[in-house]
Amino acid sequence: MNLDSVRNAKNEARAVVSQLVRNDVFRRKLGIRAQSIDMASQPSTIALGVARATAGDYSLAVRVQNRLLMEGEEIAAIRHLAKGEVDVKYIGQIQKRQVPWYQQKCTPVRIGCSVAHSKVTAGSVGAFAQSASQTILVLSNNHVLADENNATLGDPILQPGPYDGGQNPADKIGSLTQFIPLNFTGVNTVDCAIATLDGGITFDSKNLDLLGQLSGVRTPPVDIGDTVAKVGRTTGVTHGTVTAIELDNVTVGYDNGNATFDGQIEIEGTGTLPFSRGGDSGSLIVDQDNLALALLFAGGATGGSNGQGLTYANPTAAVLQALAITLIV
Amino acid sequence: MGHTLEEARAAKDKARQLFTSNVGVGITKVDDGYALKVNLRNPLVDKENVPTAIDGVPVQFEVVGEIRKQQP
Repeated sequence: MNLDSVRNAKNEARAVVSQLVRNDVFRRKLGIRAQSIDMASQPSTIALGVARATAGDYSLAVRVQNRLLMEGEEIAAIRHLAKGEVDVKYIGQIQKRQVPWYQQKCTPVRIGCSVAHSKVTAGSVGAFAQSASQTILVLSNNHVLADENNATLGDPILQPGPYDGGQNPADKIGSLTQFIPLNFTGVNTVDCAIATLDGGITFDSKNLDLLGQLSGVRTPPVDIGDTVAKVGRTTGVTHGTVTAIELDNVTVGYDNGNATFDGQIEIEGTGTLPFSRGGDSGSLIVDQDNLALALLFAGGATGGSNGQGLTYANPTAAVLQALAITLIV
Repeated sequence: MGHTLEEARAAKDKARQLFTSNVGVGITKVDDGYALKVNLRNPLVDKENVPTAIDGVPVQFEVVGEIRKQQP
């Protein structure tokens, strides 16, 4: 069938599905259970759509949530309407996708959970730090907490980030207190910022989810082949391998333009998985001993030995030095 | 015999000048020592005339595409 014919068949089939739903509601009102408990708990609904039959041909997609309907008169009627050009599949009951903890409100605020400036989508809490005056701080990227230099000190920081439903002031956990400006004409070494925590906001500075506890800051230099891991807002816990160090001229695309970075660390994901995806910005990267070694900020979808792209990160030492802070562990 | 980290560092600046279309020049490892890694947004056009070593330090090329901030 051509696309218009499928759409017409779909509209006609809707009437069959509507009748089916009405009958199901009626049966349930009467308490009729002429089927097993398992089957009765499945919804008596059929979803309709358009499927590709061949390269230039379409068929009516029929997706069935109750096995009893597969051989029923409704499917027969839909087959007849579509002149047999149907793609019928049993899909069972569809469950609501479980939102992982790192995209939800976290109490206490944890390493790896969603966070962002109120005008930014979402990034990750990297770690907790303190300044010389002992103020407790949340560490992440400039582009997560300071909106690529567009923010003003004191702006609200939300957990989760707005992309994950965070709203101001209900989800405000703190305020932007310092950022290292991104330089879009010169060379950068870090993409980082810190925020203070509001009174009453609790935090856990050590929990790295499945990885265990953050144990400190790595002192020995990072080397190629080192095994690393992180907890981030989008891909959760992932493992990877360092593929390059002292990487200069890393050209990163931002909303405000391209920025160039020197002295960066490059990482690929282990196995068939990427090390990071959009939303993992700000994640703290740790070594096998859970020692902090880098702050994740950029990545691509191409390259790496598994073809899942490469991730780029600022060495932790450069971040801590630029912001004049120490990590809380 | 493989190259040391210092030798790779010394060759890195030359690589940066030589491959002007790079989107990253760093240090990696090959079997027996350190090497240079040159990241490119697109595949090399003239592969045959590209040096495979600088001052004896091997050069690895990788097409990494566009690199973006990791934000949804």
